Amino acid sequence: MRSIRITIYLGAFLLMTSCYSVRFQVENGQWEPADTERNDAFAGYHVRTLDTVLTRKLTTGDHYFNISDCESGALHTVEYRTSFGGILLNAITLGRKKKVKINYVCIKENSM
Amino acid sequence: MATTKIDDRTRWDTLHKNGPFPLKFFLTTKLEKNSSGLSGFEKYKDVALEIQKLLKQTADNQQRFRAIGSKWSMSNIAYCGDRMHFNSFMNLKFPIFEGEMHQNSTYSHSNLFWFQCGNQIKEISRFLERRGKSLKTTGASNGQTIAGCISTGVHGSTLDVGSIQDYVVGLNLITGPNPEDNVYLERNSKPVLRDTYAQNLNARIIRDDETFNAALVGLGSMGFIHGVVIEAENLYLLHRHVKKIDKTEALQLADTLDFTGYDPKIPGTDFKGVRPFHFKVFMNPYNTNEKKYAVEFIYKIKYYDNYKADFGNPIPFQKQFVYLDLIYLFIKIAEKFPKSIPTLINLLKNSILPKEEKTTVGKLSEIFWDAGFQGRAFACSFGVDHTHSSKTLELLAKFTRENPVPGIFAMRFIKQSKAALAFSKFPFTCMVEIDGIQWSDSDKLIALKDYSTKMIELLKLNNIPFTIHWGKNADWAFPGLVDHMFGDKAKEWKKVRKNLLSPAMQKVFSSPFLDSTKLSAP
Repeated sequence: MRSIRITIYLGAFLLMTSCYSVRFQVENGQWEPADTERNDAFAGYHVRTLDTVLTRKLTTGDHYFNISDCESGALHTVEYRTSFGGILLNAITLGRKKKVKINYVCIKENSM
Repeated sequence: MATTKIDDRTRWDTLHKNGPFPLKFFLTTKLEKNSSGLSGFEKYKDVALEIQKLLKQTADNQQRFRAIGSKWSMSNIAYCGDRMHFNSFMNLKFPIFEGEMHQNSTYSHSNLFWFQCGNQIKEISRFLERRGKSLKTTGASNGQTIAGCISTGVHGSTLDVGSIQDYVVGLNLITGPNPEDNVYLERNSKPVLRDTYAQNLNARIIRDDETFNAALVGLGSMGFIHGVVIEAENLYLLHRHVKKIDKTEALQLADTLDFTGYDPKIPGTDFKGVRPFHFKVFMNPYNTNEKKYAVEFIYKIKYYDNYKADFGNPIPFQKQFVYLDLIYLFIKIAEKFPKSIPTLINLLKNSILPKEEKTTVGKLSEIFWDAGFQGRAFACSFGVDHTHSSKTLELLAKFTRENPVPGIFAMRFIKQSKAALAFSKFPFTCMVEIDGIQWSDSDKLIALKDYSTKMIELLKLNNIPFTIHWGKNADWAFPGLVDHMFGDKAKEWKKVRKNLLSPAMQKVFSSPFLDSTKLSAP
């Protein structure tokens, strides 16, 4: 019984600590705006999402993901999110599969 | 060609969640692509025709049309229920060259720039800084569009500059669907551009002081603001320092704005007797024992390239904000237990008041940088003659203690504007403002509408002439409010509106806000 409880506590702890997001943004660029009803740090921003699972092969070297939908050709904000599920997937597949989720905001076109 | 996406929508809300409001159509116009090969001027003319087409569609359907930018206003000034037009992507920028100046102009062409309506303050600052120039003032942050700023009177606390509209020297309005409805306004007493400049943009020129001054703060109802000509100045640095000073001293400075002989005693500086660029006083209404007030002094100093080596980066590497859910939890507690508000405000004071004794030096755009999302915010802001500053603050703070709401007070100061409906109408206007987080109506807490109604009554009862910030929360339907605040200036504004807009277009450019304030009435 005690070991079950410890496992639950440990699982909950891992779940909480493994889910986080980190946000990077340029100081001096104009974000692409959007009229939405968002109620978070991205209120007023046009947020785009890249959500994919990266499969790594023995022959795979470095990866690049192309971001092709910024008309200005520049990024204002990138938010990297990690989740317990993503970490679990990585562990179970011995590092072969990695879940990647980023939210990003482009620089507003014609603003520079 | 410029394109407009028309979305069916059922509702719309402000950035600070002061709605929602019911809506029919949401329109977003984008300029012709850069790859089209069109010049900036050609794109500008092209999108003007697109706007005229949209205005015709609106009139044909007997609907209203409202241009919006970043929707930072907390009142419903930006709203109409039919067609709301998001113009933030209309952001062309043109420097003005010597040969484009009016022969009688007293402006220096190198300080003049034409910005399309959707340019946001941050991108304007970037554009200017690359040319060694700066805006003369901004609001406390940088996300608003230039057209939104001037329509609602956005201001900072720059004692001797004024509000954003006060450095606008030319206005391009689209007042209807016909070719003659594309107009360019300047003051006759201060001409700016030669006639051919506006003619090249297919605009009809009107040089008239009264018309220009009325259209300057147009409340979104003088036509579609397509572009503005602003006067910038050479880059400068701002030296910002927040410190606590004796309450009596802070209030005396506010009432007199006399800094002769005053020494702010900022370490490493000698600003004794120097008039600050910006002066702001913060006040927690719930701490009656407060002997000192936090005061923000900002001084203008000469620009030099290497200032970050001396003072560090004014923009922090890691920007932190208070966890919004925590604030909302506090508000929930406050709704149930209003008496807890003073304690909650005191608990939060370190997060909501600026840090003391920290000097930052930077460009205007760096000192008044991005604002983090503040959540469901409210703000009530009254303009009074600065000689009434302390009396007004005392009255409103006492009333707030008796009817607690989750917010704190500040006082900012603005030089008089020439705009007919500028709330900065006094020689120096003190904006006494309370900012905070919205609460839900409950039996135990005064409703926001009642709170703002009673503040109007209180100022009238005490014979303090006042104005109200157009973009902030207020009882805008208070009987005779606009006439009380502006008198003949309101009549002048209406007269100009009638001259500029046809009867059909007066309806198109009206709104619930204009109806509440009776400014849409004949």
